[in-house]
Amino acid sequence: MTETTIAAPERSRRANLLRTQEGVLFVVLVAIIIGLSLLSDRFLTVNNLLNQTRLFTETALLALPMTLIIISGGIDLSVGSMLAWSAVMLGFSWQLVGLPLPLAVLICLLTGLLGGVINGLLIAYVRVPPLIATLATLAIYRGFSFGISQARSARGFPEEFAFWGQGQVGPFPTQFVILVVLIVIAHLVLSRTGFGRWVYAIGNNEVAARYSGIPVERVKFTLYAASGLMAGLAAFIFTSRVTTTRADAATGLELDVIAAVVLGGTSIFGGSGSIIGTVLGLLIITLLRNGLLLTGVKGDATFMVIGLVLILAVLINNLVRRR
Amino acid sequence: MKKTLFTRSLSLLALTGVLLAACAAPPPAAQPAAPAQPQPAAESQLPAGWKAGIPKNPPDRKGKKLVIRDVPKLIGIGYFAATTKGMEEAAKELGNIDFKTDAPTEAKIEKQIEFIDNFITQGVDVILFASNDPVAIAPVLKKALDQGILVVGYDADAQEDARQFFVNQATFEAIGQALIEDMVSQVGEEAEVAIVTSSLTAPNQNRWIEEMKKYASSKYPKLNIVTILPSEEDQQLAFKATQDIMKTYPNVKGVFGLSSVAFPGAADAVKQAGKCGQIAVVGLSTPNQMRPFVKEGCVKSVVLWNPIDLGYAAVYAARAIADGELKPGDTVLKAGRLGELKINGSEILLGPPFIFNKDNIDNFDF
Repeated sequence: MTETTIAAPERSRRANLLRTQEGVLFVVLVAIIIGLSLLSDRFLTVNNLLNQTRLFTETALLALPMTLIIISGGIDLSVGSMLAWSAVMLGFSWQLVGLPLPLAVLICLLTGLLGGVINGLLIAYVRVPPLIATLATLAIYRGFSFGISQARSARGFPEEFAFWGQGQVGPFPTQFVILVVLIVIAHLVLSRTGFGRWVYAIGNNEVAARYSGIPVERVKFTLYAASGLMAGLAAFIFTSRVTTTRADAATGLELDVIAAVVLGGTSIFGGSGSIIGTVLGLLIITLLRNGLLLTGVKGDATFMVIGLVLILAVLINNLVRRR
Repeated sequence: MKKTLFTRSLSLLALTGVLLAACAAPPPAAQPAAPAQPQPAAESQLPAGWKAGIPKNPPDRKGKKLVIRDVPKLIGIGYFAATTKGMEEAAKELGNIDFKTDAPTEAKIEKQIEFIDNFITQGVDVILFASNDPVAIAPVLKKALDQGILVVGYDADAQEDARQFFVNQATFEAIGQALIEDMVSQVGEEAEVAIVTSSLTAPNQNRWIEEMKKYASSKYPKLNIVTILPSEEDQQLAFKATQDIMKTYPNVKGVFGLSSVAFPGAADAVKQAGKCGQIAVVGLSTPNQMRPFVKEGCVKSVVLWNPIDLGYAAVYAARAIADGELKPGDTVLKAGRLGELKINGSEILLGPPFIFNKDNIDNFDF
């Protein structure tokens, strides 16, 4: 990153980076789409593509705040656990406590927010390194999920609850519409607001950011809290889609999320990245997995292919940027 | 360089535009429309009170090539490798079947749903499943039925209305009877026996004990069950309970171990007391868990079902449904080498449990 013009104005420097990274990803994505549509005539159909958006919405929702967090030089490993904890709270407060469903959904969102706030406090104010703080809360929140649910699942949600995870708005899956709105918001926040510039600044050089008057603690706290709230929202949609709340839900989801963000060109060291890149990364992983399954490649083999693509994309990216 | 990249991106954008437009067009009819044959009006022939699912307007698949996809709870473990083996055997025997198993590598319902969803998109003819969660799997199975795909469960059922038939590997009654028969064959009709169960409130174990008592009292009234002790899914506790039984009831001739933990615990206690051959140990467990005891001869047989047969029956059921030979209300399924299997409502019964012994235990790895 440092080889590019440090002195150049922030905006144009970023624009160059974005253009190359996203260009590469775009080539990869199109190559994948063409290749897979030649291999399976079921792949490139409206039905299949729209259906895929149902399956990847939860990952995508979590990837939005994760992009900002990684750009700021942090990481949030606890997103899968926060999702499970929130989902369990939804099922628990509705089925066992007997609260009305809308209230249970609110509790689900607040649980996610609480998880994120705890992360934020630990990282921004107690100054625990994000990797360690969220590794710890990954275990703690998962423990809450199992403890509260007693490893039992809540189920039997009413028909209308299915709207959020299985219903449609016009031709589009409900959660896809929600996702698109949030993608636009996240993109605008990151690329068009002062808050977004602060996030880049913190990731590039935290000390310098602090001396230039950026409220580093507050920005970090907000990012992790937002990640928690998003986990609560993802838990709500997940519960509506899968119609059951289980303590083991979304185990290992954080890896899918981080893989998509990193594949999308966000530097794991912080300082650079974009929401558009993350969306492209998500599309590549999702379509690759879907397309390979449709062409009859076994599930375990698709993991390897996705791993290879991840490495390949980084290699191409480096190659292009070096020239 | 920057310029070329930029223009390249632009042309790619245009290319995707074209692609998207192409895929937005209605997909070409994949197959020539089937000649409109008078389809049997399935709905009107349903027996009263039929609750199982019905596929919507399934195409006529009689005698045609079937694409069958099997989605067990997970792959990579011996048990489901065995069900797959049975399915492959049946597919080969029947011929004209494109069969494959694919599922997540962890027993996770959300991943299992994704696999099934992809198979629906692929347009397969039959989906076989062993569900990780009977309720959570229901919507995606109903979606399959809505698209005319045949849906058959085995091993672990879904909600009844989300699948057509379920192959039930073992009824409580059959297991209870098999356990008693196995014990009687080793200790005779007149003996004192004891039971080591999992916990005293475990629902499955209690149903088995109920059936065992019922069967023993009607057929072998002199077989006396002297005590039932819990082991709480702890092999050490089972070991200790069996020691207590041998001390308290010196005349005891046989011990039942009713879980995959209680059985090896009981066998171990008998072995360490040097009473192999004097006290019979009979129970439910998996071949791998009991292999050493069976090889040594301390345990003569292990009662369970045969997962190979379970998979085999599931594929036969799928073919029979596709050919119109298995319909709601039928009471018998012809399943190749397994002969005729009884059907109870929408559950196909695999029949009496399978007995693993010294001679056959090495054919199984689960």
